[in-house]
Amino acid sequence: MSMEDYDFLFKIVLIGNAGVGKTCLVRRFTQGLFPPGQGATIGVDFMIKTVEINGEKVKLQIWDTAGQERFRSITQSYYRSANALILTYDITCEESFRCLPEWLREIEQYASNKVITVLVGNKIDLAERREVSQQRAEEFSEAQDMYYLETSAKESDNVEKLFLDLACRLISEARQNTLVNNVSSPLPGEGKSISYLTCCNFN
Amino acid sequence: MADNLPTEFDVVIIGTGLPESILAAACSRSGQRVLHVDSRSYYGGNWASFSFSGLLSWLKECQENSDSKEETAAAWQDLIHETEEAIALCRKAETIQHTEVFCYASQNAEDSVHEIGALQKDASSVSDTLTEPLHSAEMPEERQSDITSNEIPVEQTPRSDSKVSLEESDTEESLDKEKYCGEKTCVHPVSDGDMVENKPTVEDSTSQPKRNTITYPQMVKESRGFNIDLVSKLLYSQGSLIDLLIKSNVSRYAEFKNVTRILAFREGKVEQVPCSRADVFNSKELTMIEKRMLMKFLTFCLDYEQHPDEYQDFQQCLFSEYLKTKKLTPNLRHFILHSIAMTSDSSCTLDGLKATKNFLQCLGRYGNTPFLFPLYGQGEIPQCFCRMCAVFGGIYCLRHKIQCLVVDKESGRCKAVIDHFGQRINANYFIVEDSYLSKETCSTVQYKQISRAVLITDQSILKTDSDQQISILIVPPVEPGACSVRVTELCSSTMTCIKGTYLVHLSCESSKTAREDLESVVKKLFTPFAETEVDEEELRKPRLLWALYFNMRDSSGVSRSSYCGLPCNVYVCSGPDSGLGSEHAVKLAETVFQEIFPSEEFCPPPPNPEDIIFDGDDKQPDVPGTSTVTVAKLESPEEGENLESPLQN
Ligand SMILES: Cc1cc2nc3c(=O)[nH]c(=O)nc-3n(C[C@H](O)[C@H](O)[C@H](O)COP(=O)(O)OP(=O)(O)OC[C@H]3O[C@@H](n4cnc5c(N)ncnc54)[C@H](O)[C@@H]3O)c2cc1C
Ligand SMILES: Nc1nc2c(ncn2[C@@H]2O[C@H](COP(=O)(O)OP(=O)(O)O)[C@@H](O)[C@H]2O)c(=O)[nH]1
Ligand SMILES: [Mg+2]
Repeated sequence: MSMEDYDFLFKIVLIGNAGVGKTCLVRRFTQGLFPPGQGATIGVDFMIKTVEINGEKVKLQIWDTAGQERFRSITQSYYRSANALILTYDITCEESFRCLPEWLREIEQYASNKVITVLVGNKIDLAERREVSQQRAEEFSEAQDMYYLETSAKESDNVEKLFLDLACRLISEARQNTLVNNVSSPLPGEGKSISYLTCCNFN
Repeated sequence: MADNLPTEFDVVIIGTGLPESILAAACSRSGQRVLHVDSRSYYGGNWASFSFSGLLSWLKECQENSDSKEETAAAWQDLIHETEEAIALCRKAETIQHTEVFCYASQNAEDSVHEIGALQKDASSVSDTLTEPLHSAEMPEERQSDITSNEIPVEQTPRSDSKVSLEESDTEESLDKEKYCGEKTCVHPVSDGDMVENKPTVEDSTSQPKRNTITYPQMVKESRGFNIDLVSKLLYSQGSLIDLLIKSNVSRYAEFKNVTRILAFREGKVEQVPCSRADVFNSKELTMIEKRMLMKFLTFCLDYEQHPDEYQDFQQCLFSEYLKTKKLTPNLRHFILHSIAMTSDSSCTLDGLKATKNFLQCLGRYGNTPFLFPLYGQGEIPQCFCRMCAVFGGIYCLRHKIQCLVVDKESGRCKAVIDHFGQRINANYFIVEDSYLSKETCSTVQYKQISRAVLITDQSILKTDSDQQISILIVPPVEPGACSVRVTELCSSTMTCIKGTYLVHLSCESSKTAREDLESVVKKLFTPFAETEVDEEELRKPRLLWALYFNMRDSSGVSRSSYCGLPCNVYVCSGPDSGLGSEHAVKLAETVFQEIFPSEEFCPPPPNPEDIIFDGDDKQPDVPGTSTVTVAKLESPEEGENLESPLQN
């Protein structure tokens, strides 16, 4: 894919306790399927999906934890240069909600302070087993200045909306930044991936 | 921890330093079930980088006496069967010594101008708020609001069993405004006798800009803006680490910047070494004649093999002597010897020529110096390899202690480890970072030491139009035979220090304690921060806001055979070496991998996720039980991905 194939590129990173449905959300959105079982996808680093928003092509690069959240061992480098974070919990699991402050601390430490965070309560198809009320989550997300959404990766409820809304916000944020901030300040990601470094021969 | 750790693996790796992490990635990539653990709460071991308060906690932890913290761990002795033997592992690594911290920045959050002397008064009433040890925190290191202390007492911890010869430190000579010795604050007057000789090079005397003042509370508050490496390394643009990062595609987890300048220190002056053609021509320091001489010599070095007559008679001579015969001025000879070839005074001509040629070839790869630096610090690199391991199914557990190796008496092979829960974890191969090995295992091992200093300063050692330079400077030894000191200066756009500061790393092979080895160089280049400016001269030097000295053990030269009683399927990785690159770690990882899996390829490139594109409407059928991704559409591989700029217009 060459540069001209999209107007925007964003890195979106998923975090939250193991088992809340992060991988399912990504696969539902990128592949349109709900994988059976606890299907950790071996060898897949991030998924790409290009969406069109108001005529503009937005390439979303969506990163999953690679299972490192299971024993609380996510690498800091995972958070670097993320444009957005999807912090997920499971509405049928109180524990996954109670861990959110810990995740927020980790975000505060390692993610860019410009990052957009969305709080997602997943598995709303299991309404009868709900342990975390919508109101509690709304209050929490408001206090933390986060967007909030409830989803079901299984029933494909709100999954498109989650990513598309996020893409919209990222676009408007990016626009604002270039307007307000055309003085180049050192931001995360100012560096280059190796293949982009310029060459300058002695000869 | 809700989840139970599986107990069957192919490879268990203990320690998350660079060689272990590369090995983890390599093993996992080749299909092995990998468990990768570290007893610490952070990745990287002695390769880690820390936020400012993270570093303070790390220091605290280094000083904690290992015996004082007996932890309650499940007894493992009872878990060893009759047919087995246990090899106990070490509780706490002791690889850091002689830590000394000096804070020069103002302690006052409000302003920068206030009475001198007033701030040291309460130094002995040190608060304990900083004592939260790394492991106890659920989340890694810092919690900024907890750090309210405005003093950091850091003890000098001389150890009697040290290999480093300890001399009574000469406090008289110390340039410190204030020095913390345990709970006491010793205030030493600044002696600037030997600083006078240092003339600043770039004199912007027209307008002496008013210096901004970063205070200590500010550094604590913006703690996470720092990523301070324990090692002081760069990547050679033609080096084996870059090659491995590219080959394995791990490079996509990190971003890099070019080192922008190579500096030299000569006759008390810091100068930029011109090393590309453009540099040479633009240099203001060199005369026209010098420019021509240098170009001619460098051009010759590029293919010196083709001109044996030019050097044949001097092959075994010293390179420095040979340079004299080439009619080069002392200036140029210094540049070539120390900054381009980076050879020692005792190197012979052939080595010198080879190094110079190499340098010039490295220049060709990226940018105008042969070095790269990873954004957020060198500590990112081990983590990138760990992510690769995890992506291929490796399981990660920080804060997970391993108590012992379990050896089968009959076969003599290690068959399991027992962790701090008393849980037995079985595997075929075990890779252990050497600081986890017990004193008994290492009783005959001899170590070298690395002397390190970490400085936070307010200006660059060589000011130019851009304040965003990344520089390397080699300061040759004053006495012949001593080691040269390597200085790297990082600017805030490397994401390792906050705006308005520079992060300076010094390192050399130890002959004494880190401060004894490095302080003279620090004095030459910097002046301690003081609220009232004393000396016009001193004013032009960058000011020290904060300084840390420590010695790190260098086990890179230790051979496997010097460890006592290790089973053959236990492999040992060493900590960081003193070299500028990480070639040693890469070599070590590759050697161990090839030993364990001789027929497997070492870190081949994974499939590129860029090539896996899923169209929304193009639904894939569920494939129960598969762990591979269904590739909907393959695109032609891309050169690379610039993650950074969301705007591509
Ligand atoms: C521009 C530049 C690039 C360098 N790149 C590397 C590198 O990629 N890998 C590395 O190990 N050292 C490199 N070096 C050399 C490095 O700075 C030290 O000179 C060397 O590591 C010191 O090792 P030694 O004296 O203990 O052993 P030595 O015996 O001097 O060297 C150790 C190893 O490094 C290799 N080496 C030495 N000089 C170079 C060189 N100029 N370029 C590439 N390899 C060299 C040797 O072949 C040997 O395998 C480079 C030096 C410069 C100036
Ligand atoms: N009922 C229901 N189950 C879900 C949903 N999302 C995920 N799951 C299940 O939750 C478990 C964990 O999902 P996974 O995506 O692997 O979680 P992760 O560890 O956060 O990546 C799996 O068994 C999924 O089938 C959902 O929306 N509804
Ligand atoms: Mg998952």
